[in-house]
Amino acid sequence: MIRTAYASDIDVTAAVSACRDRLGLAAPDLLIAFVGGKHPRDAAQRAIADAFGPVPLVGGSAPGVISPQGFGYTGFEIGLVGFQGPDVTPVIVGTHDLNAGERAAGVGLGAAVRDNSMDGQVVMILFDSVAETAPLRLHPGSQLMEGFQEGLAGRIAHVIGCGLLTDINISDGWVLNRTAVSKHCALALVFPPGLRAETVILHGCRPVSSFMEITRIEGAEVFELNNQPALTVVEQMLGLELGTTSGQQLSLVATLGQKQGDPFAPYDENKYVNRLILQANPAHGSITLFEPDFAVGTRVQIMSRDNTLMLESVERGVAALRARIADANCLLGLYIDCAGRASVMSGAETEEAELVMSELAPSFPVMGLYSGVEIAPFAGDYSRPLDWTGVLTVLQRET
Amino acid sequence: MTGSDDRDQLLRELAFWKQEYDALGARLLRAQDAQSRASREARRSRMVADLISEAHRISNLDLAAEAIGERMLAKIVESFCERGVLLKEDPNAPGAFVVEHAIGLPAGQRLTLPNPPAFLFTASDRPPEPPAAALTGLLGVPFVLWAYEGASGRALLLGNQTESNIRRPFEAGDQELIRSALTVYIDILLRILAEATLRQAKVAAEEANAVRARFLAILSHELRTPLNAIIGFSELLLQTGTRAPAPPQREEFARQILDAGRALLALVKDILDFSSFSNARPRLRRDWMPVGQILESMKRAFAAESALRGIDVTLEPPDPTLLISIDYDRFRQILANLIGNAIKFTAMGGRVDIAGREIPGQGVAITIRDNGIGMRPEDIPRALEPFVQLENMRRHSIPGTGLGLPIAKQLVEAHQGQLTIESTYGEGTCITILLPEAFTTHAAPARP
Repeated sequence: MIRTAYASDIDVTAAVSACRDRLGLAAPDLLIAFVGGKHPRDAAQRAIADAFGPVPLVGGSAPGVISPQGFGYTGFEIGLVGFQGPDVTPVIVGTHDLNAGERAAGVGLGAAVRDNSMDGQVVMILFDSVAETAPLRLHPGSQLMEGFQEGLAGRIAHVIGCGLLTDINISDGWVLNRTAVSKHCALALVFPPGLRAETVILHGCRPVSSFMEITRIEGAEVFELNNQPALTVVEQMLGLELGTTSGQQLSLVATLGQKQGDPFAPYDENKYVNRLILQANPAHGSITLFEPDFAVGTRVQIMSRDNTLMLESVERGVAALRARIADANCLLGLYIDCAGRASVMSGAETEEAELVMSELAPSFPVMGLYSGVEIAPFAGDYSRPLDWTGVLTVLQRET
Repeated sequence: MTGSDDRDQLLRELAFWKQEYDALGARLLRAQDAQSRASREARRSRMVADLISEAHRISNLDLAAEAIGERMLAKIVESFCERGVLLKEDPNAPGAFVVEHAIGLPAGQRLTLPNPPAFLFTASDRPPEPPAAALTGLLGVPFVLWAYEGASGRALLLGNQTESNIRRPFEAGDQELIRSALTVYIDILLRILAEATLRQAKVAAEEANAVRARFLAILSHELRTPLNAIIGFSELLLQTGTRAPAPPQREEFARQILDAGRALLALVKDILDFSSFSNARPRLRRDWMPVGQILESMKRAFAAESALRGIDVTLEPPDPTLLISIDYDRFRQILANLIGNAIKFTAMGGRVDIAGREIPGQGVAITIRDNGIGMRPEDIPRALEPFVQLENMRRHSIPGTGLGLPIAKQLVEAHQGQLTIESTYGEGTCITILLPEAFTTHAAPARP
């Protein structure tokens, strides 16, 4: 049995208590908790432990929580998923070594998943996105997932997941790891073999420039596009005063997109890997991306979010997913939504998460969260971290 | 045209469309960003409307005044910033604030801000004003927005760690928003406080009515009993002929009438005393008296009554040199009430112990301790209220208006002393009068 509960209250104990009452599982075998980032993390962990007793607890911070019963990103939300029974309860493996190297940690995590799974199982990865706050440094999901894929050593898995944040402004992030609240931690939830997943990726960006070539890059820091300072190029696009862009002013405004396959094929949202700009570096004339997975020679386009496109993508994607699932077999829906898609950031008049819930109209439990980076199987390849997407997955019983 | 010309033309066209595409894309990007910013600004502008709506909702929830601050603050922070606190200024120390409600940091912190400004903000593109350091220090973030209303002594402080994404830099135009938010909070707070005061007043009035009704019931009973005796025995005295009372009966009837009259007089005196003490503290004519002398005199005064009720009244002899400054008549009235009560509430065969001792550094304590029926803890404060006849008294059918203790307390306080009650239900009561050191002394030793 899988049940979900949602509540929002400035008092974390009251929020957890409301969730416990709504969950209807007195003694679950495992709890996933997504905790609004304005709640004090230790108090949240204690409140959940007090409410449920010694139940294994995983999850972490979230700028907000999404469910059919309600959603919000005030930072005071709590979302719980309770699992009861070995047929639905995932096995947890984890690593605390992200700070020592995301790729190596990913290799270890992938190997642990390989040892605890068979081909075709569904895996959910949760990690804290923010490695350091001053200066801001993220745990790159691309390196984690490269390592994870290597660690799987050929094991086929349907992998989804996300990087956890405390708020939309990328202030911090933390992981609930059983009895501890952890940093630099990645968990893999390996669902039982009898379950399979259907996933759609919801987009919302379109290119607003011609192709440009990255001519100088170090890690996630792009110095040059078409042999010009990358920051100058982006500033010109945005109409900003050259050389004045500071700190995070560009963050979440534009992305760099890499089109997969034929560059001159008609526009297809599913063909783009987008990388958000984390910060501008006027001193270097560079921009730092969320992920360090572009290289010299990568052809990119500057992408803009498009709210209309985002909402159309939701309608298309959810309809496509609904066509592939049968409600009777569905056990749990999971929605991992880029925090930038929330109306407060995107400016969309319709809340995208609300549209997802209303289009999905589930007869099964659904829980979602706003995230820093989304992980999903991409273009028939292994699962990759994505920016500015919504990843909607439905777990079903294998028939 | 040659093939080379065609190619050049195509390249020119390509360059043209590329330039146009990039220009249009840039306009689209800027338009999208501008739309997002405008949308966020609109959300901020709606904050006060949302706050009013929340205030209206909260005001219908019958919450305590203390409970609304956090909810209102959550609403403000949700729309506007990462951290926020509501502060209250100490009315006796202008500029000294305490954090009443907080989101993002613990409540209870203190802030001192001499001459607090009505509005202040910090942003990366302007030098900070002098009080800013205290505000940024309190919130632990560099960017803050402050509003203060001197009339109510309330302030609202909001803060952000960054000036990016959904948190744009604070600006002068935010003054209207934050001051409106603070005003909405103060308005709803004052309204709820006023409602609470009205509710308390209503409860007090209802309680006063109930007390008055109880008093009238008790008073009518207390008046009726002696009056019935006076009328009844007078009628018997007036009978003539064969039904005329014999001389011994006449004497007994006359004594009964006299006792009832005295009881009635005492009751009226108590009522008049309590009434006058409630309006003004009694005037005292203080004299220095030996404690032992007044206590011995009171013991003697109750000798007959205590003997009649089979109660052993003892006096622990005080230091013969110990003097207290008191109004003799009023102090006797206090002791008469307390000793009378002690005897009244003690069963036959019980005891009442009287003592007067000096307590270094505090004064003189006079105690009247009985092993009577005692009181439950919740009844002790009620026993000091006028006209309250405790359940304990009713159960034991003990008569009285319940004015004795309140009058004694008023008179002790008029002597600048304290009256305290310790009692254990079923075991007894000890009442202590503590007279302050200033009104105690020692007489010079008698010369040989």
